[in-house]
Amino acid sequence: MRGVLTVFRREVGQYFASPVAYLIAFALLLITGLLFNTDLTYSMRVKPAEAALIPGFLSFALVFFAPLLTMRLLAEEKREGTLELLLTAPVPDSAIVFGKFLGAWFYYSLLLALTFIYQFILLAIAQPDIGHAISAYLGIWLYGGAALAVGMLFSGLTENQIVAAFLGMTALMFLWLGDLAGQIVANLDLAYVLRQLSLQGHFSTSFAVGLLRAEDAAYFVGIIAVMLFITIRIVESHRWR
Amino acid sequence: MRKNDAITLTRQAIGQWASYAGGIGLVIGIIGFIWQGGFTPLIVAILAIGAGGILIWALFAPRDFTNFVTGRQARAGTLSVFSSLLMIGIAVLIYTLLQRSVITLDMTQASRFTLSPTTETLLQRVTRPIRITGFYSPGALQLRSVDDEFFRLYTVATDGLIERVYIDPDEQPAMAQLYQVSYDGAVYISFLTENGEVDFTTLARVPSSDNQERDMTEAIARLLISGTLKVYFETSHGELDALDTSQQGLSGIHNGIQESGLITASLSLTELVATGQAVPRDASAVILARPITQFSAEEVAILDAYLQRGGGVFIMADVLFNENPFLSQNSLFNQYLWDNYGIRAVDAAVVDATASERTPLDIISAVVFGATDIGARLDPANNTATLFSIARVLQVNDTPPGNVANGRVILSSEQSYGETNLRLLGETNTYQPDNEDLPGPLTTVAWAWDQTSNGRILLVGDSDFVTNGLILTGGNSILFTDGLSWLTGLGEQIQFGVQAYSVGLPLVFLDTQTLDIVAFVTVILMPGLVLVAGFVVWLRRVRA
Repeated sequence: MRGVLTVFRREVGQYFASPVAYLIAFALLLITGLLFNTDLTYSMRVKPAEAALIPGFLSFALVFFAPLLTMRLLAEEKREGTLELLLTAPVPDSAIVFGKFLGAWFYYSLLLALTFIYQFILLAIAQPDIGHAISAYLGIWLYGGAALAVGMLFSGLTENQIVAAFLGMTALMFLWLGDLAGQIVANLDLAYVLRQLSLQGHFSTSFAVGLLRAEDAAYFVGIIAVMLFITIRIVESHRWR
Repeated sequence: MRKNDAITLTRQAIGQWASYAGGIGLVIGIIGFIWQGGFTPLIVAILAIGAGGILIWALFAPRDFTNFVTGRQARAGTLSVFSSLLMIGIAVLIYTLLQRSVITLDMTQASRFTLSPTTETLLQRVTRPIRITGFYSPGALQLRSVDDEFFRLYTVATDGLIERVYIDPDEQPAMAQLYQVSYDGAVYISFLTENGEVDFTTLARVPSSDNQERDMTEAIARLLISGTLKVYFETSHGELDALDTSQQGLSGIHNGIQESGLITASLSLTELVATGQAVPRDASAVILARPITQFSAEEVAILDAYLQRGGGVFIMADVLFNENPFLSQNSLFNQYLWDNYGIRAVDAAVVDATASERTPLDIISAVVFGATDIGARLDPANNTATLFSIARVLQVNDTPPGNVANGRVILSSEQSYGETNLRLLGETNTYQPDNEDLPGPLTTVAWAWDQTSNGRILLVGDSDFVTNGLILTGGNSILFTDGLSWLTGLGEQIQFGVQAYSVGLPLVFLDTQTLDIVAFVTVILMPGLVLVAGFVVWLRRVRA
């Protein structure tokens, strides 16, 4: 546990010391801010304010955004040759992976927390469905964790950050598109299975509409667990040589 | 670009990527083979790519390959693969178990994903297996997912007595044809036979509106009462034919009644008199769809006995030009209605130049008493006004006899009048207001309810509104169905007050200044602060 905490602190420190992380936060806040204001203008005339607006947007944005956060986690260590150093440290491989993952998830959680301001503004001027919003935020938090875990797996596969980001985005895009499998796959059973595998399929019709389902939470936790497990095996594989 | 950022292509790297491609190709190929149950050109191609990748790996990085197959890497790698598969298996198992146990938490303010107490009470009456059959093509998979989320609440609430089955109409077109599926996402409900097959005699389509709970619960309610309510059409006085499919026939309402789960049958008052029988015990309502001739004293007695048993009579009385017409002002049955229920027909036709269509005789409902069960859904301002053709004037006694309650449902406009010269109207189709005519507004639909016997009467001064030619016009069908529901008590059995269901919460009210402040804070201030923080961090790194 101490090893996890040490790696975690180091990772979080690196995020706050990196201008890129601030640029990502800037871009995210700018886009979500514009989205929020557009929706607010609509909700003055056309429709009620959307409780799950930001989580709904993030469910797509994470396809591109999560790999940007995770691409350097292991790839950079490999490229710099510091992974070998880390592996000789008195911490298990799992602690390295968990610590790095938790660091990324923590940073993502902070970014997500910044978007709470939109909910506070809505609370001050309207009557938003708070339960619905909490459900959507909880869902996108888990969704984000799963997306980061997928991105981290690809960061462990290569020492090139761009390749890691590209592979992560491709994988997440497939996992996102699975929700639309029915549009392209003629076989209903296959389309159903693909949808069951997709990240969006466990968010858009449950968390995003205000419904918490145990199986959806289990899906995201399962994705995180499996991806981290495989990543640990990948890191471990450096010792086999 | 620094040297380390460049992608260096070595034999080792090519071998490594080829091994990934080969492994993925083989896995996908094997999965495809299992899925299809045989080889297809695509599967063969994928397997070939997989084998090619492995071959390139072996050629470009033979040491890696040998180590993988025979060395320490092979042992550790195999162990990793199996442990990863085990991990995936555990995750899938937990997921499946949780999916079957249906653990959900409805977080919405309006409890949109929770069954109302009324629905739960109704579901306690489900004792026979019911099947919800949904037709969804792969393109409607998301819709199916949303619907299933809701339908499974019914499965859980009935402990599995209500089951769900989904069929792809593209894959099983014969089945879709059997159900008469007309659109993607159509949902049907039916009882199951003892063999577990769909009982097609009870099959009904579930309507699709914004309120899913109402649609499904009312469909189940109708299913539960199907076969328990019977409506009789009187046939011995020249009434409109319930099976006639022409514009003047009643086949539309006849089929509609059956689709609502009610049984229909015919009844002859003349025969009942001749055989000394009464209206059958199972009659929930008797429809008198424009009788032409007058009822005899014996026939009135039979109807009276039926009403005293708590029966319901739906009377459609047209303006008639024949000798001794049905419900003429001084006829026996008309007098019976007035004496016992405080309603009757008057020998006059409504002429309304203000609320009418082609001619002043095609009258539109000008005033509707929405407080009644019959008139609640008839809003003249909302495209649900009724259209009558040559309507008869009705009269309501505001101080009805005994324990009877009565009232009006539809009135003509203030400017209308009741033409009493029916002979002139019938012979020349002309009408002129004079002193003998009745001043508007005039009643065209009236009801009466004996609260002691529960006998109910709905009197409508027109019959054309239920014919195939006019039933779909405006609110004509609503008047008929809601009237019949009130008479049979069907409405009380299937309608329920759904919990507060908010489709949309109130809109936002903001002045321009506040909107500008919100925009400034969210689009400029917050991202700007983050950008400044990033700039400071960058500056410190550069200076360091």
